[in-house]
Amino acid sequence: MNSTSNTLDTNGTTDTRAKPPSVLSTYRTELAIAGAIIVIMLGVGAFVPAALSLGNFANIAQAAAPLVIMALGILLVIITGGIDLSVGSVFSLTGMVAASAMANGVDGFTASLIGLGVGVVFGAINGALVTLAGLAPFVVTLITYAVAGSLAFIVTNGRSVGVAAPNYWLFNSGSLVPGIANYVLFCIIFLICLEFVLRKVTFGRWFYAVGSSSTAAHLLGVPVKRTRFAAYVFSSTMASFAGLLTLSYILNAESTSGASLMLQAIAAVVIGGASLFGGTGSAVGAVLGALMITVIQNGVNLIGINSFWQGSVTGLAILVAVLIDRFSQK
Amino acid sequence: MMIFKKAILAASLLAVATGMAHAEDKKTVAYIAPSLDIDYWQWVARGVQQKAEELGMEYVEYTSENSPAKQMDNARVAVTRGVDAIVIGPVSSTSTPPFLNYLEKEGIPVAFTGIGPQPGLTNYTSAVTANNYETGIAQGKFTCELAKERGGNKVGMLSLPQDRENAQKYLKGAEEAFADNGCELVQMLETKGLTINEAVTQANDLLTANPDVKAIYGMYDQAGTGAAKALETRGMTGQVAVTVADGSPTTIQLMKDGAIQGIFFQEAVGQGIDATEQVYKSLNGEETTQDMALLMPLVTADKIDSDEAKAVIARVFPQD
Repeated sequence: MNSTSNTLDTNGTTDTRAKPPSVLSTYRTELAIAGAIIVIMLGVGAFVPAALSLGNFANIAQAAAPLVIMALGILLVIITGGIDLSVGSVFSLTGMVAASAMANGVDGFTASLIGLGVGVVFGAINGALVTLAGLAPFVVTLITYAVAGSLAFIVTNGRSVGVAAPNYWLFNSGSLVPGIANYVLFCIIFLICLEFVLRKVTFGRWFYAVGSSSTAAHLLGVPVKRTRFAAYVFSSTMASFAGLLTLSYILNAESTSGASLMLQAIAAVVIGGASLFGGTGSAVGAVLGALMITVIQNGVNLIGINSFWQGSVTGLAILVAVLIDRFSQK
Repeated sequence: MMIFKKAILAASLLAVATGMAHAEDKKTVAYIAPSLDIDYWQWVARGVQQKAEELGMEYVEYTSENSPAKQMDNARVAVTRGVDAIVIGPVSSTSTPPFLNYLEKEGIPVAFTGIGPQPGLTNYTSAVTANNYETGIAQGKFTCELAKERGGNKVGMLSLPQDRENAQKYLKGAEEAFADNGCELVQMLETKGLTINEAVTQANDLLTANPDVKAIYGMYDQAGTGAAKALETRGMTGQVAVTVADGSPTTIQLMKDGAIQGIFFQEAVGQGIDATEQVYKSLNGEETTQDMALLMPLVTADKIDSDEAKAVIARVFPQD
């Protein structure tokens, strides 16, 4: 979708004869989404003035943080032309495993590492089955979606688990940097790092190359299988991180906590300008997509519209975003 | 030698006959849950299992994965397997007519838990449910009193989906209680996912849109936990009261911590026990009670450690 921001450049070199694209043209889609978010917020604010309060911005940021992190993770997979349906289940399983570990006397830090291990393992399984076994990503991640979802129940026999470590809440709500809550800090760090890698680092350009044409990328010397493998491991690990962040926030793990997040994360990436056919997408867009979904949900709640309408409104937002992007390129 | 062989043969036949007679005597009860991803239905299962063991019945379990079609499949599988009675938490009230018609033809007694059959149906043994309407009135009145104690009369509600009959009854009772006691329900948000995370977000949005709310009515357990968490984050624990229906170890702890002011316990284990008892009675030709609407007792923080409260909680969730 966002062709200007994703020009294929597999060796990471810069063509000094070409005029560098302006920020406006590079982030055209993202700016459109940001504008749409502002319009939605102003619209909600017209009905409920408190929607524009600092407190509500904090609510939105907190509610959006796990989705932002999951969207950033799944973005890499989508850029490579794949899909990861397992992220919601991995999110739930991570929370259940980490909370159970803490309930059995493991300290919060170690339990978090164990939880992240869940993501790494499932990401590696996804990556291996896609790259080595050559199975379709949809099928592979559908399988791991089912397995991780099932394990999330098995861990505690389906019972929700409270967090036993007393200071675990600091992981989400503490402030490693004074004045910035950790959930915001993590989102900013992941955003900056991923955007930098995707735009400025050779390795980052490989993801676009693989997604645009894996055959051409292979002929150009891009390690296609390793790149795809890395994308799945990153996606799953980020889902685990999001699961841990949520666990730290609500201090309670539930087997179904991530059930609705998978589709929202994919929607966020698509709203942010990525194509499900691969080769396009940006970290900034994915974050803005996640924010748009959260702002819509927040607005629906604040205005008092039946929350069952959220899915329809989000679907409409995706349609509008895709149409705007399509026509803006003509 | 021949006598010895005959003796062994006779003993073997006797053993087989005794075993068959025992197998014929031992009845089987199947529990069909709408889904087992919610604590409540697992706790009902434990109640059914507990009572079945006590009555010397075999126990089998099926889950309908929230699908009426799967629920019907489960009924057929249970009949094929030869179960004698069924306890069910139906996917919905409206999904029950074909289910009951089929089991009536098969002569299987059916008891409902949690959610009752479609109104107007009579071809079932028993429906053991919570009295949602009366609980709605009681919780509404209590919530209103708590709001007034905090200097206001505005209350918010985190609701179950209103396409459910039990949610409609809760709401009807609560609205009547609010009106009778001078409180105003300023906003109601319905859950989709029944998760704590969703409830936290909704509670935050409710408090943002209505900063003068003085009490939150939680219609399900995760709503109470979510509201308590949202208030804690805002540094407002206790300033806005929280009441909740259902009850769990999590909400009990929150009540002990002062984050929740009252829990109206829904006796999940108790419903499983009572429903199993009803189908057992039916199998033995004893008199049964067709509609058992159990009241949901209120327990407050100051009474949570009393013997009375412990007896209530024992019928809510398993104690092991």
